[in-house]
Amino acid sequence: MSEVRPHRPLTRFWADRPLALKGLVVVALPLAILLGALVSLYVASNAEVRAEDDVRRAVAIQRDTYQAHALLAEAAAGVRGYALTGQDRFLEPYRKAEAYLPQTFARLDQAIRDPEVRGHFNRISELAVRKREGLRRIVELAGDPAARRGEPSAIEEALVSNKIVLDAMRLEIELIQRRESVLLDQRRALVEEVRDRYLLLTAISALVGLLGSLAAVYLFSTGIVRRVKMLEANAELLARGDELTNLPEDADEIGTLAQRLARASALLRGREQALRESEERFRLVIEEVRDYGIFALDPDGTVTSWNLGAQRIKGWEAEEILGHHFSRFYPEETREFLPAQMLERAREAGTAEDEGWRLRKDGARFWANVVITALHDDQGNLRGFAKVTRDMTERRRSEEALRVAREEAIAANLAKSEFLSRTSHELRTPMSAILGFGQLLELDEDQLEPRHREALSQIMKAGRHLLSLINDLLDISSIEAGGAELAIERLDLGELLQEVHALAGPIVAAAGLRFALEAPDEPLVAWADRRRVVQIMLNLVSNAAKYNRTGNLVRLSCTARGRDIRVEVEDDGAGVAAADVPRLFTPFDRLGQQNRARVDGTGLGLALSKRLVESMGGQIGYEAPEQGARFWFTLPVRQRARAPRGAPAKSE
Amino acid sequence: MPTSLIDSAEIRTRRILIVDDEHANVLLLASVLEREGYRDIHTVTNPAEALESYIRLEPDLVLLDLMMPEVDGFQLLEAFKRHDRPDEFRPVLVLTADSTINARRRALALGAKDFVSKPFDVIEVALRISNLLETRILYQRLQQG
Repeated sequence: MSEVRPHRPLTRFWADRPLALKGLVVVALPLAILLGALVSLYVASNAEVRAEDDVRRAVAIQRDTYQAHALLAEAAAGVRGYALTGQDRFLEPYRKAEAYLPQTFARLDQAIRDPEVRGHFNRISELAVRKREGLRRIVELAGDPAARRGEPSAIEEALVSNKIVLDAMRLEIELIQRRESVLLDQRRALVEEVRDRYLLLTAISALVGLLGSLAAVYLFSTGIVRRVKMLEANAELLARGDELTNLPEDADEIGTLAQRLARASALLRGREQALRESEERFRLVIEEVRDYGIFALDPDGTVTSWNLGAQRIKGWEAEEILGHHFSRFYPEETREFLPAQMLERAREAGTAEDEGWRLRKDGARFWANVVITALHDDQGNLRGFAKVTRDMTERRRSEEALRVAREEAIAANLAKSEFLSRTSHELRTPMSAILGFGQLLELDEDQLEPRHREALSQIMKAGRHLLSLINDLLDISSIEAGGAELAIERLDLGELLQEVHALAGPIVAAAGLRFALEAPDEPLVAWADRRRVVQIMLNLVSNAAKYNRTGNLVRLSCTARGRDIRVEVEDDGAGVAAADVPRLFTPFDRLGQQNRARVDGTGLGLALSKRLVESMGGQIGYEAPEQGARFWFTLPVRQRARAPRGAPAKSE
Repeated sequence: MPTSLIDSAEIRTRRILIVDDEHANVLLLASVLEREGYRDIHTVTNPAEALESYIRLEPDLVLLDLMMPEVDGFQLLEAFKRHDRPDEFRPVLVLTADSTINARRRALALGAKDFVSKPFDVIEVALRISNLLETRILYQRLQQG
């Protein structure tokens, strides 16, 4: 494990590099190795050139030493001949040696590197100087005829010493030659060695270059070709719709391609799965649907498929009905024309819908909703029809029941309102006689006994109370029957408040209360029925006056509140007990029954006011101030679309 | 008494027909009229006989109830209108417990000259009656030249 770890990130690193980099590396690696081989070759050939220079120099040294020796030897021989003969021509080699020797020695001096050879050379140079000196002496002696004759022994002596010098020189030259030949052998061996090394290096370079290329190509092919093959295999799997396996995971282009492939595969498989499920569901739905009869007809109307719902709704098993004409689902009265009509309509419009009675296998009828859809092939030829039938019997029954119930409810409500209205009329007619005769009696009051006068007064009081009760009842019943007669118009409520203040002034004054009016100077416009608004205000003000037994004030006020105008009637009396507040606007639920003897009223005033306010699009309510009672209602600032001006309501 | 072009004594000589199925109401109206001094008062409590009485009596004014069984006030209004000459001004004062705007409009549209809802103020009814009779008398005088 510990050995694998450091190795793995490296391969990982290589695998994750982009393909372009990998290609570059594959091409550059053998080139780099080749370059290295070339450099080593250059170094090797330099060494060889140096070695060959050495050999050439050694050969030159040998040649020059030979030449020097030969020149001197020939010069010596020439000088000897001159000494013996005195003939000048023998001096030719001597002169040649004199001319060439300095050059030769200068060349040698430059070429010699080896210290041993240098030692010999120095000695030779010395000897050569002595030899040339000796030769010059002999030449001088031999050139002097006196000396030639007088002292032949001096020449002999010079010749002998010259010979000794020459021998010593020859010895030195031989030593140089020997040394140089040793050096030459060494150098030749060196050149051989360098040449061998160069050959080996070249061979190794070629080998390494080859191997490097092979390795790079191998790396490339394993890294890319192998993974491309993996991709190819996976593409094959993808084409077959199988799950992908063994995808390259690296981060280069191939790895990315693999990820895309994997994603595409997941997507495809997901879609395929969804499609399969949807098809399966659809098949199940068609086959198992129980609420809808779904079946197919051929172009003539013969049944060609049948589902569970059809079996349940119509009663036939599939084998009983397949191959039969669908007109047998229709009851006698429609069988002759309706089936053909339905198919015709579906042919023309694409689809035909119908609702009506159909037959079950057992002959029972059911109320069906039927949709027939024409089916066409790609060329537009009619292939048949799909028919969806739904049993609506239950729904029809419940709809019928609902309709009847609704009608009954409406009728009952109408009957109630009608009853109330008629009752009120019936009651008002005798009231007319009672109050009329009473008034007649009042007109002739002075003819009555005092006790009759008192009785008449009671009759009139009770009669008027009864009449107001009947009137309120009539109002409520007509509102509830939807027959409220509203003459909606544009009203200035401030002005109306003034009017009510004047109208109700006496009632409030009679109760011993102060009547305060708070209305702004600018007009407060609302849309309402003038008569009804006055009725509501009067009702609230007279309530306040009637029930305020402990305070001393009734306040009527009016303010604009957004889209409403709000009217308030407040008093500083005992107020309304919290428990009684919810029942304030309920008909006949007069509060404080104990007060009944003392307070006149129908018990319908607030209920009627509430209905009137609401029918004009406003709201009414009660709130308890710190002291007393406060009733308020609102009226809309804008005209409501439902109650246009000048078209006041239906009335019956 | 309000100032008037017509002598109130002449008004009170005029013939008035009261049509109402309620006996008490007929009696009340008759009492009011008698108290005002009218003497030529006729009453019908069976609406079926109303038209016949109207034709026979040729009253100067009819007090008519709208809500009656079998033949209601609206039908009678139509019948009266059919019978009268177009230039005849024979006022009908409708008295009804049905105070809805619709009833009011319908009655006035059918030729009723005034409308009072029950229960009514005795004095108000008496004033309306004398006003209508006064108008009829003036109308007749204009027609006579």
